[in-house]
Amino acid sequence: MAMLGRSKICAYWVGRTMKKYFPIIGSIIVVTVASYFVVTTKGKEKAKTKTVKIAPENIGKFSRQRSCARPPRFLRKSNIPQPVLIDLSQQRFKGLAMHYGKNYEKSLHPDLWGKYEHFSTYTVDEYGNLYLVPMPFISINENTFDLQKNIYKLNSETGDLEIFMHLEDVRASSNNPYGLNSIAYDCDDKTLWVSAVDESDYKNQKGVIYHIDPVNKSILDTIEGFDVLSMAIIKSEKGKYLLLGSARDNGLYSYKMNSNILDQKPKKLFSLPSANQHIRKIKIKGNNQLELQAIPFTYSLISQTEKKHRVFYNAIWIDTLRKWKLNSA
Amino acid sequence: MTKEIRISIAILILGAISLGIYWFIPVGGSQAIATEKNIKERIFLAQYEAEVYQNIPEVKSYLKDLNIIIQSGKSILPLSNSELDKNGIKVQHLLLTDTGFIEDGKQGDKLLHNDMMRILPSIVSTLDSSTAQICKTTTCYTAEKYNFVTNATTRATVDVDNNKVLKVQRFPNMQPDISLRLKRMAQAIALNAPEVKKELGKTPAKKDMSMANVRSALKESPCEQSAHLCVAPTFADHEKEQVLWAIIDLTELKLSAAKWAGLGKTTTPACISERTLQNKFIMENYCRQDSYLDRNGWKMTYRLTGSDGLEIRDVSFNGEPVLTSAKTVDWHVSYQQKGADQLDTSGETYIAGRRVEYIVGEDNKYQFGYNDAMGCPMFSTSVVLPFNGPLIKPLKGQSGFALTQDFRNPKWPMACNYRYENRFEFYDDGSFRILAINKGRGCGINAIYRPIMRIDMAVSDEQVFSSYDNQWSVWEKENSSTAMPKNIQYPFKVTEKNTNKGYYIEPNHGQFSDQSRGDHATIYATKFNPEEGDQDLLTLGSCCDLKDDGVYRYLENKENINGENIVLWYVPRVKNDATEGSEYCWADTVLGDDGNLEVKEWPCSVGPKFVPIGLEGQ
Repeated sequence: MAMLGRSKICAYWVGRTMKKYFPIIGSIIVVTVASYFVVTTKGKEKAKTKTVKIAPENIGKFSRQRSCARPPRFLRKSNIPQPVLIDLSQQRFKGLAMHYGKNYEKSLHPDLWGKYEHFSTYTVDEYGNLYLVPMPFISINENTFDLQKNIYKLNSETGDLEIFMHLEDVRASSNNPYGLNSIAYDCDDKTLWVSAVDESDYKNQKGVIYHIDPVNKSILDTIEGFDVLSMAIIKSEKGKYLLLGSARDNGLYSYKMNSNILDQKPKKLFSLPSANQHIRKIKIKGNNQLELQAIPFTYSLISQTEKKHRVFYNAIWIDTLRKWKLNSA
Repeated sequence: MTKEIRISIAILILGAISLGIYWFIPVGGSQAIATEKNIKERIFLAQYEAEVYQNIPEVKSYLKDLNIIIQSGKSILPLSNSELDKNGIKVQHLLLTDTGFIEDGKQGDKLLHNDMMRILPSIVSTLDSSTAQICKTTTCYTAEKYNFVTNATTRATVDVDNNKVLKVQRFPNMQPDISLRLKRMAQAIALNAPEVKKELGKTPAKKDMSMANVRSALKESPCEQSAHLCVAPTFADHEKEQVLWAIIDLTELKLSAAKWAGLGKTTTPACISERTLQNKFIMENYCRQDSYLDRNGWKMTYRLTGSDGLEIRDVSFNGEPVLTSAKTVDWHVSYQQKGADQLDTSGETYIAGRRVEYIVGEDNKYQFGYNDAMGCPMFSTSVVLPFNGPLIKPLKGQSGFALTQDFRNPKWPMACNYRYENRFEFYDDGSFRILAINKGRGCGINAIYRPIMRIDMAVSDEQVFSSYDNQWSVWEKENSSTAMPKNIQYPFKVTEKNTNKGYYIEPNHGQFSDQSRGDHATIYATKFNPEEGDQDLLTLGSCCDLKDDGVYRYLENKENINGENIVLWYVPRVKNDATEGSEYCWADTVLGDDGNLEVKEWPCSVGPKFVPIGLEGQ
């Protein structure tokens, strides 16, 4: 009984003492619970924050500009009616071919136009000269790699196809058969923008953009470190831009052109829905609207072989929402 | 207010201030500003075939139901009633007997496997104007089914009130959202995939997996290889901020490939595909670095080349050098046709994306064809791409192993698409065989295939090449020979100059129990020149000039080879056969009993065996 009485007294004393400290214990519990909640919540927020994309660059509103390009003059001399379809598809004709007449059923393809193998794309100046860049296509011949270092010109007056300029430091090889691969003509200062990807490998993006004066056939500037698959010049409310389809990924990029000097780094405008699709052609289709042709591109020959792999998109700039909308074309 | 209460309030205030500071001040300062975490993508390819998954209850029950449907003469596996509302059940019943809806369910008298994918109230955006007009006043449902054989989706709009099919549309090469049953099955396959378990380091639970946005992400992304229906359940690891994407092939019911990627939107591709994953995996593991093999006394380095297939280098057996390099640099593919006088060679011709070469011969015949280079899938000039990486397999019925690499055109076995295997067999007695295997299908019959094998022996720095015709004759100069009579087992040998140490060469006449019909080869011995194929060789010679294998260019100088470093070129010549019952170098696609496509292949294997001198007759 004595023992029981002593323990009751002890319990009473502990109870009174504890009661005295209840507010302190309670506040510690509250702070601990709150801390746990705050730390875990912030951890999740932190994870979310790390994956938030930086707001993409925008070039603002744009419209289709009147191009300075004119049709080659030899066509008129040869009584070939306009319009003429320029064919670099390599399906029926090697190199360059032109189709004209009703349903474009007539074709023009002098032997000389197939002499330099295959072409990737072209641009036209105000005199009707075509400038073309090469492309390795399916099979590699002994001179295929050498042909990748030339810009070719179809003379507006004569219709002769010739090597216009030879960029010796472009070296295509069996490890990367591509050399010069895209071209655009700037009607403002009458210069050419040309790209090459020959130095790039699986890990390193070492593409070069050349700014070329076609009159003196001299290189005005080179910009290194970006693999271009396609390019186009565009003027928007925010200025003049060089649009670039990347050979490396599925993005469309832009360089701001300040007095025809490019920004330090290209800015990404948007990505296509598939990681496999690389923008091969860029066309300004209308107000705030681009037409893009995309292909799978792996710096090997197989990507060019399948027509069904070419996918078309309309990219529309929604100015009110400040974002791009992509539709399959 | 007691002292204890004041302390409590102080604790609460200090706690609140501390938590406030912790919440609003970013950890790591400016570095925490909205940046993407750079997670290195890591890819792994499936190591197991569909059989591994066939005992999973979901798969087993699906295959059972499919079998019942096909056996009962129907082609569409319907949705279970649990996936449908009352109108959906009515619509499914109507469509399963609607001739327009089910008409693509047969090919000849063979049934094609179809699945009903979903039946839901119609959405205005999927209706054309006339159907939309009708559906304004009646209850309309839209149903979608998928044809696994033709990779096509059929969509039907049904007026439920009047029990009438309003419209049936077919979308080739399009894939619909999948049914709940298929979703559950994909999840089950992902959860049971041995590769996924290995990567996660545990057996995953369903709660670890997400497929919430997968259907939209992969909706227009069929497995590129074969236009199969694929989906990709994901397993997120929030701690490491990475996610495992498991691509499940619902046509073959197996894991197809998988990859680790970051949780961020840009590191998780909007569309991942089997081909993309394979390309990256192969580039990083076999094209950009050498692999090493040490097995049964054999040691070697191997790698995938840009255009010369799988190459083995620095091969030794029990410490003795055997080969410096061996590879198949090209396949020359040539077809013979009559009608050379009708040939239009004014322009170029392409077949299945390849430029065709023509060689006009006698009797109004001509040869046409092309050269196929095998190699790395990116940054290369190859046109036939590697599938999976090199594999090491035990030999059947023999002591030893094989190192093998599969190359395919993505659309094999369709016409004019090819599949090749580079294979090296190493036997425990020190002998080895270099094989080139063709699995068709080619553009047609009358094809002649010529794989160009380059074999750089490492017997010695001073080698001797000899041929046997009643006695051994040493070749003094670079030369070639087709003299490989069946009655002489070893018509050639490569030896060290002053000893008889080396290898006999045993051409294949069909004696190696692999259904081969023989090599009918030409062998060339040339002096080693680093520019003659020690690095990647571009296309060597003409596809179709049967008088020139392409190697003659290296014999032009007729250099002395006695006591030199010798390179052997071995060029078999194989004729394909598509005759039923005796197919050879051929492949075909047939409809199986389950309504799905099956590929049948009749490979042709060619290539010589090298037997160490002293082992003959054992």
